[in-house]
Amino acid sequence: MTALKTASLAALMTAALAGTALAADTVKIGYQLPLTGETAQYGQDFRKAAEIALAEFNAAGKPFKAEIVFEDSRSDAKEGTNIARKFVDDKEIVGVLGDFTSGVSMASAQVYKDAGMPQLSQTASHPDYTKISKYQFRNIATQAQEGPYNAKWMLSKGYKNIAVIAEQTDWGQSVVSGFTDGVKANGGTVVFSEFFNRGLKDYRSLISKLERAKPDAIYTGFFYEDGAQFLRQVQQLGIKTPVYSTSAAYSPKLIELAGEAAEGVHLTSNFLPTDPAPHIQHFVTEWKAASNGAVPGQFPAQAYDAVRIMLAAVEKAYPNPTREKVRDALAQTKDFAGVTGKTSFSADREAEKELVKVEVKGGAFVPVAD
Amino acid sequence: MNVSDLSAPRRGQGALIPLLLALLVFVGLPAVLAGFDRGYFYQIANLALIFILLSASMHLVTGVAGLLHLGHAAFYGVGAYTAALLSTKFGLGFTVTLPLSGLVAALIAFLVALPTMRLVSIYFAVATLAIGQMLYLVMLNWVEFTKGPNGIIVTKGLELFGFSLSGRLATYYTVATVVALCVLAIGRLSHSYYGNALRSIREDDQCADAMGVSTARLKLEAFTLSAFFAGVAGSLWAHMTGYISPGDFKFSESILILAMVVVGGLGSLPGAVIGALLLILLPEGLRAFGDFRNIMVGLVMFLSILLLPKGLLGEVSALQLARRQLGAAWRNTVKGEGIGWR
Repeated sequence: MTALKTASLAALMTAALAGTALAADTVKIGYQLPLTGETAQYGQDFRKAAEIALAEFNAAGKPFKAEIVFEDSRSDAKEGTNIARKFVDDKEIVGVLGDFTSGVSMASAQVYKDAGMPQLSQTASHPDYTKISKYQFRNIATQAQEGPYNAKWMLSKGYKNIAVIAEQTDWGQSVVSGFTDGVKANGGTVVFSEFFNRGLKDYRSLISKLERAKPDAIYTGFFYEDGAQFLRQVQQLGIKTPVYSTSAAYSPKLIELAGEAAEGVHLTSNFLPTDPAPHIQHFVTEWKAASNGAVPGQFPAQAYDAVRIMLAAVEKAYPNPTREKVRDALAQTKDFAGVTGKTSFSADREAEKELVKVEVKGGAFVPVAD
Repeated sequence: MNVSDLSAPRRGQGALIPLLLALLVFVGLPAVLAGFDRGYFYQIANLALIFILLSASMHLVTGVAGLLHLGHAAFYGVGAYTAALLSTKFGLGFTVTLPLSGLVAALIAFLVALPTMRLVSIYFAVATLAIGQMLYLVMLNWVEFTKGPNGIIVTKGLELFGFSLSGRLATYYTVATVVALCVLAIGRLSHSYYGNALRSIREDDQCADAMGVSTARLKLEAFTLSAFFAGVAGSLWAHMTGYISPGDFKFSESILILAMVVVGGLGSLPGAVIGALLLILLPEGLRAFGDFRNIMVGLVMFLSILLLPKGLLGEVSALQLARRQLGAAWRNTVKGEGIGWR
């Protein structure tokens, strides 16, 4: 037992010492993300996007070089807090990105709160995440913002009775509450709302239950894997009720997996790979080169922006960036022109984002005016 | 095992290993941790201790009583949720929530175990799987009560009658003390007449029944006691991390704890401790290997089961160790021959 402990301590020490042998003009940031486990597909995309952003930053002739330390959290709160302690211990790390899920982000945030380490999550959507302390930021629109926006959109289309389903996660909870509030405030009715567990294979009973409430339209809170399953089964059951969704479902993989069943789905996004703006096309080209021609979805774009926002904050805090200075620089982020639109942090460290309306037409996401 | 193999403990020797272990846990390790002064090492030490408790508590029911338990993490979760809810809703501190977490977990285990205690082998395993999933789904879906997937932020840290114990070293000592006391209790339970009775159920429950051992009652007790200790571990986790959500207590955690017990050695308490240390420290130690670390952990587990099917420290050697070195409860005849546990 002792030998085992000593051995692992020694291994950890070696890893730590290797980290300190860096040149003085290198600034380190940490990135905790699920590189393995059930949500690895998202973490792997984040790392790819972060590496693109990092390579660009380091090639741009800035006064210092940046380095990102990636650590695999497996979307597990135990591992997330371990990583958080590890990052806090590393005096050279001035800011942290991640984690993917709100659960792990919030468990880690308890560590960052006490240590005074700025933390920027590209996806954490829990309403209380940014309330933990002044060190928690996110650059994704919350459902408190997106829900009412989508509610107004659907009501303007004449859908008064709307059914809502969402995955049983903190994010799904916020999808339903944000949207329901928006519908009520604008004179519509939510006729049905239910949660399903992530990774559910059979949605048919949920769909028939939902149809019994005779909704004019269905609003859904799911990611692309669940979304594709759901849409295929809606099609199989011959149901023609229009389906609306959130920006979380915005991924080319949704269309890839659902095929024809995705036709006519409406959703919002703050990232459009078809947008001709040069900085967006630049990211899309880089992403395609790194992933066999695949088009990036919303989440890699979020990660790409998160890394660039963090690096911009570090640059502002340079020379001698400290965690406190980086935090203050992050808080001052205003109209940061990213690929997911302009990002400004409000006083409570939430991103204010512009949303774009999109419809699936002919196997592609097409922006629509209304 | 031949009883005459077990030589009598000599007085001085009997206390040596427990003393060394206590010195290691309460002096040596804290000194090393304080020397490095890195929050990461403290965190891992605390996490390893919590999983030692979980693994040791599962050892009682799966290792000693031989009941395959697939829902242990749920009782860990019940403990954590009890602590979190009591401290957020009623403002109770760690001193109060710690025992209550254990008691609530034990109570729930007692209630759900009542109808399942006549089940044997695989049927019992499936029943515990169902119990684990039920409890997990309650944590996940009873949103009004448990806050569901939103989880709970626990603002109260570790404390003792109002004195904050949230410093690094204080946290370590608190966790270590609680875990050491619990493991000591589990040790006394498994190295005693009581433990032998549980072992008799594992070896042949019909025979044990015929010999007058109340198998259903003993199973119920072992199951309930093990849930109590898991609940205590849950309380430690809730107050230590400050945020819990149902994801921390899902089925894969039960399997992780089961793996600790099996890799360490079924029926062996030191084995359960070693198993927990291995499966917590190894994945952290292998971080430098990036995406390959899970494969390496899997490989180590596979090889250890392949080469040491009885575990890293099997039951026979563990019992010999317990009788020779921790011989406090082992009674000898005047001639110095061992006759059994007190």
